[in-house]
Amino acid sequence: MSYTCGLLPVLDTHEDHQYEMSEYEGARARWCPGCGDHSVLTAVQRLLAAEQLIPEQTMFVSGIGCSSRFPHYMKTYGFHGLHGRALPVATGIKLHRPELTVFVTMGDGDCTSIGAGHWLHAMRYNVDMTAMLLDNGIYGLTKNQTSPTTPQGFKSNTQPYGSYLPSLNPIEVALGITNASFVAQTAEWAPSHLYATLRAAYKHKGFSFVRVLQRCPVYTPSIFQKAVQDPDRIQMLVHDDGVVTPDLEKIYKAQLHHDPRDLAAARALAEQTDRIILGVFFKDPSKPRYEEMRRVAPRTPAERVSLLEKEFSRYAV
Amino acid sequence: MSASATAAPAPPKVLRVPEHTVEIVSDSGEGAQKCGQIFGAVSAKMGNGVWTVELIPAEIQPPARVPEGASGNRIRIGERAVTNWGDRTNLVIAFNEQVLLARHRVDALADDCVILIEDKWVRHDDPDIVAQWDAAMKELSSKPYRIIPVAMEDQCLTITDTPRKGKNMFALGMLARIYGRDMERIKEQIAHTFRKKSEEVYKTNVALLELGFHWAEDNVPLRVEIPTHASDKPLVVMNGNEAIGMGAMASGMELCAMYPITPATSVTHYLSEVFEKFGGTIHQAEDEIAAVGAAIGASFAGKVAFTITSGPGMALKTEFLGLAVMTETPLVLVDVQRGGPSTGLPTKVEQSDLLAAMFGQTGDAPHIVMAPATIEECFHIMITARRLAETFRTLVMVMTDANLATGVTPYPKPALDEKWQAAPLDLAPVKDGQKPYDWDPQTGLSERIIPGRPGGMFTLTGLAHDDRSKVAYSADIHQRSSAMRSRKIAVLQSLLQPPKVYGEDSGDLLVVGWGSTKGAIEEAVDRARKEGLKVSALHLRFLSPLEPGLKAIFKKFKKVLAVEINYSDEPDDPYVTEENRRRGQMSILLRNATLVDVDCWGRVPGEPLRPMSILEAIRGRLPRGGAA
Amino acid sequence: MPSDPRVTKALAALAQPIAEFRAAVQGALAQADDFLAAQNADAATQAARAAAELGAFAATHVDAAKFAAMFPAVAKADKPSTAVLKKAATILRNVAAQGDAACLASVTEGHKLGATIDAALAAVGQAFGAIIITELVRGGRYKAAEHDRLLDPTEFRAWNNAERRFAPPLVVEVDGVDLHAGALLDFADGREKIVLVVRGAAPPAALVRCVTPGTFVLQTVDGTGLDRLAGYEGPAIAAFLPEGAATFMHDPTAGKEPWQRLTVPFLPAGPFKAVGGFSAWQMEQDVKMLADLARTPFAVPATPGAKGAPALGAGEAVDRIAAWLLDTSGLKA
Repeated sequence: MSYTCGLLPVLDTHEDHQYEMSEYEGARARWCPGCGDHSVLTAVQRLLAAEQLIPEQTMFVSGIGCSSRFPHYMKTYGFHGLHGRALPVATGIKLHRPELTVFVTMGDGDCTSIGAGHWLHAMRYNVDMTAMLLDNGIYGLTKNQTSPTTPQGFKSNTQPYGSYLPSLNPIEVALGITNASFVAQTAEWAPSHLYATLRAAYKHKGFSFVRVLQRCPVYTPSIFQKAVQDPDRIQMLVHDDGVVTPDLEKIYKAQLHHDPRDLAAARALAEQTDRIILGVFFKDPSKPRYEEMRRVAPRTPAERVSLLEKEFSRYAV
Repeated sequence: MSASATAAPAPPKVLRVPEHTVEIVSDSGEGAQKCGQIFGAVSAKMGNGVWTVELIPAEIQPPARVPEGASGNRIRIGERAVTNWGDRTNLVIAFNEQVLLARHRVDALADDCVILIEDKWVRHDDPDIVAQWDAAMKELSSKPYRIIPVAMEDQCLTITDTPRKGKNMFALGMLARIYGRDMERIKEQIAHTFRKKSEEVYKTNVALLELGFHWAEDNVPLRVEIPTHASDKPLVVMNGNEAIGMGAMASGMELCAMYPITPATSVTHYLSEVFEKFGGTIHQAEDEIAAVGAAIGASFAGKVAFTITSGPGMALKTEFLGLAVMTETPLVLVDVQRGGPSTGLPTKVEQSDLLAAMFGQTGDAPHIVMAPATIEECFHIMITARRLAETFRTLVMVMTDANLATGVTPYPKPALDEKWQAAPLDLAPVKDGQKPYDWDPQTGLSERIIPGRPGGMFTLTGLAHDDRSKVAYSADIHQRSSAMRSRKIAVLQSLLQPPKVYGEDSGDLLVVGWGSTKGAIEEAVDRARKEGLKVSALHLRFLSPLEPGLKAIFKKFKKVLAVEINYSDEPDDPYVTEENRRRGQMSILLRNATLVDVDCWGRVPGEPLRPMSILEAIRGRLPRGGAA
Repeated sequence: MPSDPRVTKALAALAQPIAEFRAAVQGALAQADDFLAAQNADAATQAARAAAELGAFAATHVDAAKFAAMFPAVAKADKPSTAVLKKAATILRNVAAQGDAACLASVTEGHKLGATIDAALAAVGQAFGAIIITELVRGGRYKAAEHDRLLDPTEFRAWNNAERRFAPPLVVEVDGVDLHAGALLDFADGREKIVLVVRGAAPPAALVRCVTPGTFVLQTVDGTGLDRLAGYEGPAIAAFLPEGAATFMHDPTAGKEPWQRLTVPFLPAGPFKAVGGFSAWQMEQDVKMLADLARTPFAVPATPGAKGAPALGAGEAVDRIAAWLLDTSGLKA
């Protein structure tokens, strides 16, 4: 199947065709003005243009939530499914059609709450896809309910006296999962870092998990306020094998040379709370990929029939 | 030893019968199932009709010598094809008296049942065990069973040091003698069963087999003769779950996503061995929800995928099933029904998921529901299910049950056809202006567009949407798209043929069934007709849409009775009235569709319905005075 | 059946990409045949087909004639479309009929390695054209003026990027005297996989000239390492050589530097004898180059546990690669 799918762009319309960014634009985005999702959308469209991804061979899969409208705003194939269930769908797509390029967008409720089980297992399967957690620390679409990543003490409609529990650290969780192969964190307010991180994630063969720190302009406009105003509260992880953004060096002076192959160092970094860390925490392209291991040689109808004849002979009376 | 032992033994009594039912029961792990399987397979090869069911305890390793631990096989052998497990058992080999008691207590044994029982317990050192034996014998004496004590382990000890392991072959030898089975075929079957073991194991088993054969020759004064008829067609023998798995491969489906659940899992045990050779993948997902999600993702992106589950798993999949319907993504779901609600009876048969399958999804979620009636149909239904899912762009549920899943019977080997298989992926560029839901306004049908097709990019959504898959914000779009999805079911019904009545097409009573009960119902109807009762049967394969013409068929009978393995109130139960009576699940569908006053009779005994109990229900429900 | 067991081994190593290629060809052929058959099928034929597709379960429950009428198999196509589709189907049928042989070539006397590969790829490349034509006709998008060229055999060097990504794998039998590795570099593109089965005396390390950062290169005498070839995402070239040749594997995923990517289980010591047009000196150079590339550029620790001096590594390596590149391109540093 992969041959036929890949061959079709040989059509004259595609041969030597240079895709413009605008050719990846779907419906007009209906997120609130100032929402970080707009930044991610722009970075992703830029990435697709830079990599010249063929629109009909690219898929965006999402769950339910503000961020899950993402596929509608792309002019690729999209699957806007159920709350928390984007990852199983994406896994099924890749198992059956490994030649498609798959991106997944999830919100914090989607990924770390109702779909947390799938998140864990998708990281372990390590199927080649780019999974973005658009984390604004709140349920926005349903109007201001606490999510697992809501900062402790933050008041919402469901926890009006402040969120009871310490917020979940998705990076710490991700780095704890067996067979995780790519874990990174970036922020909506640092567009060039966002772009570079998504690009590194896309380039990585395996399940790339990228948490994008975001603010909801309506419900959580202030959660990263201090960091946005004071770049010294942000530490950048730099490495040739991770992300390097020279244009940001002057703004973010706290730079740390971190080898993304060093899992122990990555875990130690994820645990610390005094600074917000952006960059690639961990990357190991040698981790086994489920869809590769499970790849089977295709069979023609005639081959299947003759195999089935043999199978029936095992059950012959 | 009595004096008569020295005299020549009396010639054994020879019983010529059209059918006989045999059970081998033991503690779990004593090999009774292997013995039963070989006996069933050899009987089929010799030209008998056979229906085998497993007797499975709920626990993996229940304690020894307790009634709840009864494990084994029940084999019904007939001169002609056997379509169900029958009524009561005619001959039992029991490895201890407690497992035998279990069968006695559920009224599984015929009054004149011949019982061959291991008698080492009566000589046991533990006085408690001896006391248990005595109590059991007393309890069993309420029926005129014919009990023959056999020192099985003592006999086996002459050949092996581990008689507990070899007893099953001794038992098989006894059965071979009593039923005149072909020893060479049995040896072939043993060789096949133990093909992964050493030559030594095979030899020991054959020696034990022969020991049992000769022991029965000298000591069991009974021979049963069931005429055989060699089939003119090649036959295959398997259980319903294996048939489902093979059918899935024959249909060209390439992805099965599942999560382990009894009694569905064995389909994937089988497929896991062979599916990759066929270019297919079994994905064992992290949970039931992920399983159906992966199947839907795969189906959306390419060939129709399938998932296999049982009641509790189907409940978990509900939201995704609604998504498949809403987004018109083809999907095949097999529900191997077990007893419910909740965890219910995990290993036992029931037909009580029907309404959940039909209406369990929230909102209006029209889809196709079909049920195979035989093990043979378990194979063929998968081909039809895949084709309909693809053509109608919807969810197809295949409702089977634990009876079909674990029952084993021979059926004609299918004549395989390449056309059963899914066409290669259609990756052609979409036509100008083609929309993801180009609903034909009459039929609601549309061509689906899979990723990879140039020019077809769209985002599938579970939100209400228009024909371009754009999220709908107006009421008329939802009304229209709901109508389009619903219309497809009516269209499918227009392509179906009215079902055929079994027996006369008019009379006093029509018994209607669905799923695995077909054989038992028709056998009961045959017997009723022999008694002079004007009874016919009708068996449905399509539940959604229902098969056409039911009302016209029903009108020719004075009374219509739905028989199902699900719970329904009896009309004379306390507090139960005509208005509040909770009815059998299919009968609700039939009453709704035909406005005929369909009566129902259902039982949930945790075992398949016996023809005799259906016959009693028929007698009880026949209009008084009948046709006279 | 191939007589050389090494050919069988090579085909087995490429089983997955060959199966994918074959499935694509057979799939397109089935689509084309169905489309053509449905063009003039009468109602009875259509009904019989519907009945076959629905299977035995449906036989007594679904009205196949009504079903066929409700779901006509395909749209009608015009004459030029059916004509080109027939042509495409013939090409696909020919390739399908060849089985594994479609992915097998042999360098015969008087022919060169590069030209042989080119011709073999051009023949199977026609199948690609036929697959696309099939989809175009089925999708109602076929235009003779634009698309007829797709059915012409085209040399690999004229393939576009998309085609190269999907080049089918090839097993090529070649005499040692014809093992001109330079000719192979043209094909180290896309996902092309080539396995050479070398007959008779051969230069011992010829394939070292194919080592570029993105190309998987393997020399083997017994098939070791072939299993890694099919899984590699990029281009790959391997050679089955006679005993005595150097064995090495260059795996681009193993690291950034050549010594990380190269493993050399066996390096022949020489002296070498000329083989055909290959001089002994040239062979020595090949072997030396292989040794140089594989050599870790810093001191191997003398005692266990002692650390080397990795800081010096990168620069030296760059110098050496630069020198080698200049050397191979005929320039001198």
